[in-house]
Amino acid sequence: MSLETIVEVKDLKVNFYTYAGVVEALDGVNVSLREGEILGLVGETGSGKSVTSLSVMMLVPPPGRIEGGAIYVKKDSGQEDVLLMSDDSLRNMRGADISMIFQEPRAYLNPVYTVEDQISEVMLVHRKQEFLKNALDVLEKNRRGSTVEANTYRRMLKNPRSLGVRFIQKLSLKKTLKSEVRKEVAKVLKSVEIPDPERVCRMYPHELSGGMAQRVLIAMALACNPKVLIADEPTTNLDVTVQAQILNLIRLLKKDFKSSILYITHDLGVVAQLCDRVAVMYAGNVVETADVFEIFGSPYHPYTRALLESIPNPEKGFKSIPGIVPGLINPISGCRFRDRCSYAMEICQKVKPSFLEVKKGHFAACYLYGGSQ
Amino acid sequence: MTMRSRFEELKVSMRPRVKEWKFMFLRIRKNSLALAGLIIVLFFAAIAMLAPVLAPPPPGSLDSFKIPNDPEIHVLTPNPTPPTLRHIFGTTDQQYDLYYACIWGTLTAFRTGLTVVGISLIVGLLVGTLAAYYGGMLDEVLMRFTDIIIAFPGLILAMALVIAFPAKIPINLSMLFVVMFALVSFVLLALRPSKKLLLVVQALLVLSLLSILYYPLTYDLNLSRLDKVLISITLVGWPGYTRVIRGEVLRVKNEDYIEASRASGSTDFGTIVKHIWPNTVYPILIVATLDIGSIVLSAAALSFIGIGAEPDFADWGQIIQRSRAWMSRPEQLIGNLHTFLIPGMFITSFVMGWNLLGDALRDVLDPTLRRR
Amino acid sequence: MSYLVQIRDLKKYFPILGGVLRRSVANVKAVDGVSIDVLKGECFGLVGESGCGKTTLGKTILRLYKPSTGHIFFGVPSDVVDEINALETSNPKSRRLRRLREQHDVSTYRGRDLLLLRRKMQIVYQDPTTSLDPRMLVKDIIAEPLVAQGIAKGEEAKKMVLEILSRVGLSDQAMYRFPHEFSGGQRQRVAIARALVSRPDFVILDEPTSAVDVSVRAQLLNLFTDLQKEYGLTYMFISHDLSIVECISHRVAIMYLGKIVEYSLTEQIFKKPLHPYSQALIASVPIPDPTRRKERPPLTGEVPSPVDPPAGCRFHPRCPLAMNICKQKEPQLLDAGSQHYVACFAVNPEKS
Repeated sequence: MSLETIVEVKDLKVNFYTYAGVVEALDGVNVSLREGEILGLVGETGSGKSVTSLSVMMLVPPPGRIEGGAIYVKKDSGQEDVLLMSDDSLRNMRGADISMIFQEPRAYLNPVYTVEDQISEVMLVHRKQEFLKNALDVLEKNRRGSTVEANTYRRMLKNPRSLGVRFIQKLSLKKTLKSEVRKEVAKVLKSVEIPDPERVCRMYPHELSGGMAQRVLIAMALACNPKVLIADEPTTNLDVTVQAQILNLIRLLKKDFKSSILYITHDLGVVAQLCDRVAVMYAGNVVETADVFEIFGSPYHPYTRALLESIPNPEKGFKSIPGIVPGLINPISGCRFRDRCSYAMEICQKVKPSFLEVKKGHFAACYLYGGSQ
Repeated sequence: MTMRSRFEELKVSMRPRVKEWKFMFLRIRKNSLALAGLIIVLFFAAIAMLAPVLAPPPPGSLDSFKIPNDPEIHVLTPNPTPPTLRHIFGTTDQQYDLYYACIWGTLTAFRTGLTVVGISLIVGLLVGTLAAYYGGMLDEVLMRFTDIIIAFPGLILAMALVIAFPAKIPINLSMLFVVMFALVSFVLLALRPSKKLLLVVQALLVLSLLSILYYPLTYDLNLSRLDKVLISITLVGWPGYTRVIRGEVLRVKNEDYIEASRASGSTDFGTIVKHIWPNTVYPILIVATLDIGSIVLSAAALSFIGIGAEPDFADWGQIIQRSRAWMSRPEQLIGNLHTFLIPGMFITSFVMGWNLLGDALRDVLDPTLRRR
Repeated sequence: MSYLVQIRDLKKYFPILGGVLRRSVANVKAVDGVSIDVLKGECFGLVGESGCGKTTLGKTILRLYKPSTGHIFFGVPSDVVDEINALETSNPKSRRLRRLREQHDVSTYRGRDLLLLRRKMQIVYQDPTTSLDPRMLVKDIIAEPLVAQGIAKGEEAKKMVLEILSRVGLSDQAMYRFPHEFSGGQRQRVAIARALVSRPDFVILDEPTSAVDVSVRAQLLNLFTDLQKEYGLTYMFISHDLSIVECISHRVAIMYLGKIVEYSLTEQIFKKPLHPYSQALIASVPIPDPTRRKERPPLTGEVPSPVDPPAGCRFHPRCPLAMNICKQKEPQLLDAGSQHYVACFAVNPEKS
């Protein structure tokens, strides 16, 4: 793992055990996200891009199961394999080191809690010590350092897991703590360019428009300053003008917060405008990874080429890719794109091509560029 | 395209549905509780169908549901006798044969359950669909009426109705037909079906109006006590189905394919029959299956209180009612356990079988679990 | 060059019921005065963002909603349309107007007239998963319009179903399957087959490619153009995806908050958009070319709610060119030269 890579997915295999059969959703996926870059994960339905991102957070829902491979996440102490992490470490990682935002923002916000409640929940889970210390400082500054409230905070700081503390903290007033958290929430909402954050804090999800809800979701994801942000098609359901605003926001996040972003989409326009590097997925495999200029300028894999050609162009019309995405139950042998590929050779039917570096920093899995015999 | 005979055509068109049913049965087979429920229900169904063979009515009896008393012992001992070779389950007081009662009681139980559920389903389907599909004032009125009935405690209202129903109801058939055809034509006017159907109904309406004036038809409806129980439970039970169906229809009503059906030119009636009902029927089947058990239980409860079937009618609740007199003191109780335990076990296993089946159906037909 | 569909001042308001007696307290002004003409044989693109009313407009034309006011003319000669318009302004209560409207104006049709109309106007929905009844066989789904409109039944209907299935590129076996056994693109083909089986003249395509994969979109779009040529169809293509509309439509109209703000030939709109909203909209589309990146989002703010649209020009709160008059008066759709209609005071100054 190089110095720069912050998340590396190596040879990931994920299966879904359904009544209809075993769906081999991911078949040896290799993706690496570098520090401070925006990596675009492009693919159609069934390509496995959402499953890949869920695997990084170990959130793959049953009947899905991770069957092989490793996901290395860079930590201060070196790298750690997510698949081998304990539940506690995973819980600490989610939300704090790696956060995720989703496609339909209102589905991921709890309709019975206000915006403020939801963002403060995330914050309190991961940054509680910090807030307690701040609250104590404020109390001491106002010369109320020996009140019941302050003592409660001290107890909570010292031994957060004791039964006594857990009981007390449900009963006691925590005004100072709450006001500290509220200030942070307003700050984070402002950083996602929400106008009038104090008013939005008190709103419920159904009162928000699509763009606002997505910003709130991004704010929730950023609440604990994660190093990695995974965005699963966050702008697909939004209007194109709102999408432009959110894309701009994501660019700002990269600049100001230095986050690394894994951006999943099927829209090649968004990829071209936003991403630094691109990984193209098809039917459970990554077929090509390269710099964004390389992918658009000189695509190597036939699927990437066909995808670029199918973008509607007023002068040239639209060229479609014949056939449909193959089923993933009892998947076909060899390269999964072979039935729709205009360059298919005999070896493509038998063995799957391996992922090779065809140019510096440019990887493709295709027998046109060599490969194992 | 080869020429296909009609039969082949049918086979091909049913193939995907058959595949779905096979899938469902596979799931039932895998769930052992469900299988148990199915076996219990089938077992009771077999008993009911084979009742004349298993417990042949005594020669010369006019009504097979009348439990025979054993003539020899009857006069000598009015007390219940425990099981002997002659009376396999024993007898209850007045020497009524328990075995006969339980076997024919199965038939009565099925009759009770299926009739009540059947009629409630039909009424609930009509009222619920109309209320949900048309909404507005019609929905409000129908639902308030339904709510009024639900507001009453069910069993108590059923008791009151059973007592209040006269045994003999003289019905003015002509008036009934007038009301019926008037209602039907109103409903049809709303749904706008083919002209022919409407004409036929209106012709019948006119005919019945004429018959009132010139040749009124009357009919004296004789209600047996069991019939009164069935009617009362139906009257109390139909609002439950209405609510379930209304909820389902509301959910389906806003789907795109309903609007697409309207865009294709379907009438309201066509849309309801072809699209709404097939998509809403599954939860209702589940409710109905679970309900059969509780309806039989309610009927047995009414009989136990004494307002149910006639004294010598073959009905489980009725038989248990007879044993009430023999349960007051401990020494009496122990000797006469068979008088209520055996029919009680019949009731328990019958209800449990249906409940298990209903649960199984719910698991099998739950759409979120289906395709995983 | 004759017009197939002509719409005059169409309005569709949805009442919001509130209070104890469920009275109408406000109206969602989904479509607020739209007048367009669709030429026979063309593909008319209707573009806009969510809440602009384009889907409502399409469904109102089809009479799936009853218009609040306005006229819809289908296959009516222009002189009759002009006469009706003239009578509206001069003598709105005349009997002749009422009789003409009952005969020609689709918004007044009921019963049998409406049924005959269904034969000629159809719709393809956005999401093929929800627009097909999941419990019906494909054969019955496609045959439904034939049966409902009394065109054919039984064997004859089956023949027509087979014919249309092969035309949209599905095999004969597809007839006896359920919709969930197909992929998204194939389901959309079934929906197209259902719309076309009764040989309509006018088809409204409500975002037919949005719910479908990118690689399949091109297949469907090619299918649309082929079918249009073969059957002589007229399309109204509703979409929020500007790149597709640019490729497939002859003329395009851009809607904002229930009103049309600009409409013209496709090349003119996309090469030289005149209305500030159109400019922002077209500039917001991400170009699939990394060498051409934009730095600032072209438009800030959110689309206001259609319940309470801003006074005057609907776009003035977000418009970079807003002037005083924009807050007070609503601009009309006027020709800014060579059949390019814009509703903007900055483009067509108000002559006082």
